[in-house]
Amino acid sequence: MQDQLVTANCTTLKSAIISPMRYLFLLLALLLSSCFKEPLYHSQSYVFGTLVDISIYGETDEHARFLANHILENFQNLHNQLHAWKLVSENKLGELGQLNAAFQEGKKLTTISPELAAILVDATALSVKSNGLFNPAIGHLIGTWGFQRDEFTPIEVDEAAIKNLVHAQPRMTDIVIKGNTVYSTNPTVKLDLGGYAKGYALDIAANYLRHEHVKNALINIGGNIIALGKHGENPWRVGIQHPRSPTAIATLDLPDGWAVGTSGDYQRYFMLNGKRYCHIIDPRTGYPAQHTQCVTVLVPPQPPNQTQAGVLSDVVSKPIFIEMPANRNAAAQAFGIDNFMVIDEQSAIFVSSKMLKKIHWVESGVKFSTLP
Amino acid sequence: MLNFLRYPRLLTKQLLIGDWLIILLSLLAVYYLFQTLWSNEHAAKVQIRIGDKIYATYSLNQQREIHVHGKIGDAVISISQGKARFTKSPCNTQYCVHQGWLTRAGQAAICLPNQISLELLGDTKPYDSLNY
Amino acid sequence: MKITQIQTTEDDHRIAKLAAFAIALHMVEAVIPSPLPGVKPGIANIVTLYVLYQYGFATAAWVNILRVFASSLLLGQFLSPTFILSLSGALLSLAVLWLSMYLPKRYFSAVSFSILAAFGHIAGQLIIVRLWLIPHAGVAYLIPVFALAALFFGLINGLITNKLLVNKSTKYTLQPQTSKVTST
Repeated sequence: MQDQLVTANCTTLKSAIISPMRYLFLLLALLLSSCFKEPLYHSQSYVFGTLVDISIYGETDEHARFLANHILENFQNLHNQLHAWKLVSENKLGELGQLNAAFQEGKKLTTISPELAAILVDATALSVKSNGLFNPAIGHLIGTWGFQRDEFTPIEVDEAAIKNLVHAQPRMTDIVIKGNTVYSTNPTVKLDLGGYAKGYALDIAANYLRHEHVKNALINIGGNIIALGKHGENPWRVGIQHPRSPTAIATLDLPDGWAVGTSGDYQRYFMLNGKRYCHIIDPRTGYPAQHTQCVTVLVPPQPPNQTQAGVLSDVVSKPIFIEMPANRNAAAQAFGIDNFMVIDEQSAIFVSSKMLKKIHWVESGVKFSTLP
Repeated sequence: MLNFLRYPRLLTKQLLIGDWLIILLSLLAVYYLFQTLWSNEHAAKVQIRIGDKIYATYSLNQQREIHVHGKIGDAVISISQGKARFTKSPCNTQYCVHQGWLTRAGQAAICLPNQISLELLGDTKPYDSLNY
Repeated sequence: MKITQIQTTEDDHRIAKLAAFAIALHMVEAVIPSPLPGVKPGIANIVTLYVLYQYGFATAAWVNILRVFASSLLLGQFLSPTFILSLSGALLSLAVLWLSMYLPKRYFSAVSFSILAAFGHIAGQLIIVRLWLIPHAGVAYLIPVFALAALFFGLINGLITNKLLVNKSTKYTLQPQTSKVTST
């Protein structure tokens, strides 16, 4: 009887102690696993006139740092090469700056690098596709609005100058490229690749990393992002900034090779008499578009011999930004873009149906309209 | 009296159905409280970066002003009760100051000309990078 | 010259004895260090619960409040923030107890009352903390921890009270609310 009691007590004790122990071990294992650092390298730098964020997953810190530095150096060179107006060193303009000077002087033929030639050809094709709304040739207009400076302050609107420039119709098609030589039939053409260069740099960086056999990375140049692979087990997740507050309005997953770009009126702008003038200028009127707060486009990887995802993510948001609401869809379709989101000046949100499936709103109860 | 602690079964026999209900509701309440109040949204620290480097990481549980020196001049960053912001900046546009108070993990404010960035850090980031 | 004489009744004596016991428990607990300020087993509340069952709410309230005042005097914390916290916790937990007396005793034993009162207690304390002592959003981090402690210790105290009551009577019933404290 006594033995039976003892056995019974022991069994009860065992079950009372050992089963909880199992859970304790599980908890311990979970805690330990979360303590190990993941192989994520992250650097932030001010290059290309903006903030550049590079994340590389799955490489040693040393190798990742080497890769990132190479990319940043590359970006700095690209920045100088493609800068529309800044002196890059001791009274010398970069390649594009020099080309612009040549155009202004009406020079007959200028030799440019094959790289720049390819960029101009691509940009021209895109400009045509966008019905001229994406127009890198309106550098003078941009300058007149004061956006070719390091900082933006309210300016006195020079209506006459703007009218003249609009009338002169500087277009990408005014530029004639023969091999590596180029000239412009219109002296008012001034190239400003502000809406192209960041996307271009993204593609270059992505190609470089792929070439170096890096499987997983995320590159952010001034808000334009391209993704390679995944963040460990999960896809890379990007936040989309609210146009009027420092929060994210939504998040979405960026699969391998996809790029996302936003054009907004909240980074480069100035206020004048209570109205906002941003850097996205409608070439048809010569005035900044004022009916849109921001446009976000999501671009899938593109076939090799066509314009790449990075460039598209930079370029395509502009025509959609400038277009009348009724034509937004068409503007996106012209480039084969199905995923985009628009927030207009009333803060009304419009999301394409395909994009809607990919987005997670940060706050609940967000009102939006779906575009067919 | 302490004998009964070694026999969990006897313990639980004492509990009536209403007790179990109260216990269950309390467990749910505790779980819910941990989920909401200890959630990732609550930022614990602010990370200040100047140029390429991380300048410092400060706890948000304090009230102080931090003076930093950026590329074009001195800036003032304020921390107060779980929030942080740019208070003064030498830049022309003052975008960074206009961002106002950062309150949740993942939020960031950047002064591009001065090359200073603020980011609120929580337990986990809601996203890997911000598109803007 | 008129000499005022205070006549004490049997009720008064009973309350005094019970309060003394509660104060004693409170003292014992005060000696034990707690890992986190504010997180305490609150064993003196066992007395409050026991009294609630045996003598009704009014008596329990008296015992509880007396315990708070007397303990703070004895510990040299009278009118200090600790005292204010104790008092606010006690008041709110008593309010919760009073409301919970509507729960049928068939289904709810002392464990339920103990847990509910414990939550009331921490709520009262957290309100004072948030409004007066630490007006900081960071208090939010304390709330789940206190809630867990309330659940845990409330459960234990309730179980102990149950055990005590088993020895006293065969059925868990609350005495009718007829015992009122009177004094002349």
